[in-house]
Amino acid sequence: MLLAENLEFSINGLQILNRVTFKVRSGETVGIIGPNGSGKTTLFNCISGFNIPNAGKIVFKGQDITEMPAFKRAALGLGRVFQNLGVFREMTVLENIVVAIEGRQPLAGTFWPWSRRNRENQKQALSYLKEVGLAGRAGDKASSLSGGQMRLLEIIRTLAFGADLFLLDEPTAGVSPKMKDDVAHLIIRLQRMQKTVLVIEHDINFIQKFCDRIMVLDVGRVVLDDTPENIRNNELLHEIYFGAGKEQENSSR
Amino acid sequence: MDYIIHLLILICIYLILAQSFNLIFGLGGLFNLAHVAVYAIGAYTTAILATEYNFGFYACLIFSALLAGLLALMIGEISLRLSHDYFAIGSLAFSAVVSALLINWKSLTRGVLGIPGIPRPELFNLDFNNIRNFLWLAALVALFSQAALYVIFRSSYARSLRAQAEFELAALALNRDTRLIKVFSFFIASCFAGVAGSLFAYYLNYIDPSSFSLGEMVSILTIVVVGRPGSFAGVMISTLILTAVLPEGLRFMKIDASILGPMRQMLHAVILFIVVYWNRARLFPVERVV
Repeated sequence: MLLAENLEFSINGLQILNRVTFKVRSGETVGIIGPNGSGKTTLFNCISGFNIPNAGKIVFKGQDITEMPAFKRAALGLGRVFQNLGVFREMTVLENIVVAIEGRQPLAGTFWPWSRRNRENQKQALSYLKEVGLAGRAGDKASSLSGGQMRLLEIIRTLAFGADLFLLDEPTAGVSPKMKDDVAHLIIRLQRMQKTVLVIEHDINFIQKFCDRIMVLDVGRVVLDDTPENIRNNELLHEIYFGAGKEQENSSR
Repeated sequence: MDYIIHLLILICIYLILAQSFNLIFGLGGLFNLAHVAVYAIGAYTTAILATEYNFGFYACLIFSALLAGLLALMIGEISLRLSHDYFAIGSLAFSAVVSALLINWKSLTRGVLGIPGIPRPELFNLDFNNIRNFLWLAALVALFSQAALYVIFRSSYARSLRAQAEFELAALALNRDTRLIKVFSFFIASCFAGVAGSLFAYYLNYIDPSSFSLGEMVSILTIVVVGRPGSFAGVMISTLILTAVLPEGLRFMKIDASILGPMRQMLHAVILFIVVYWNRARLFPVERVV
């Protein structure tokens, strides 16, 4: 489904991605963890097309998308959920989903506001909202939702768009434990639908519930790529997250 | 009575102008200060075609719309490569270039002398020198324009325009070619501005560069900001209030005529400042990033 080969990205002389290489099979769920500044979001930006890598190649569904415009990658089925909540807050909850559904339809069919296609899209949008318990908020502005609700809206919007590959950037950031469960259930649903999911997270306990494998990024490199169980107990991971200071602290006791 | 009809005709013209600007600024989030320039292009196109080449009403209207739209495509092609604040400056620069051309290209525009003697349209065997008949024509054009713009405002295209205005990257991630969307909004809005310019030229029978100054752009901007950018009904109401109700309200204050004219422009500027200050977070939100 997705192949990244020797990806490099730097900005103002700062190397952010350093020969990043990995492969994701169709239907796989891969977690990406790493300390702040390790290049996780930049990696997603390169895959999404918001940043063009300085070197390397990205192949999606057999097509080289390295220099393809972002909207064309989306048309191929690449979906993105943003770290800083990508819902359209000035639109209603329903409009957020309708906009996504319309994204893969020709403009001619949806331009006329009172067309049958538009009515069908609205019905379909409502059914997506029902799945995440937001049907009752359909007419409300998205800005009136809580952070967790916005997160659910964004993920279900990406599903409504028809994405095959989901790039979820810290989907549980700032979200309550109850909402975390809701997000987890939604991701598991995506897995059952054979969607391919890459998820950036800091909470290993959260992602190990559903990830097939976990990649660890550090200083722009993939340093570990293994099953959740092996990753969890890996000493290198502890060193990356907690540093050598922990060892010194332990030895001084 | 004739004065009331005059106000109604002005409302028709400003409805088209303001609502088309609402499309670019209100929905698209593009602070386009070249809207008055394309309005001018529409007016001058009609003036020249009607006086020099005896083109009829429909031809003048269509050419005014298309030339205004074409200029917008040129402006958009260059300016839309600039980010938000610089886009506004770029569009202002284009506006200044058009203004300079109108003043200095004397062989075409007669410079500051303007173009007089623009004949009223000849249609349906009606005498449009009669201001009442001209009101019907202006109202018909305004009604058609508002209907077309209303359909656009409710369309899926408008949703795409609003999406890219709020969070461009999210719009790109939903298969929206945001550059094309912006350029198209420019083109459509400018076509309508060209139509407004054409009506204006026909109505006044005379145009000169002073009618298309920065002050005029401030008036258009004030109408849209007061009516709430993006709100179709709001801009209709604010057009009515700022074009007719407020200026007529000033007349009752028994202010000297020589002060009344400049006072209206100052009032627009003051209203604009107050409304923008109160709504600055909503009007100019911080750009969202990943």
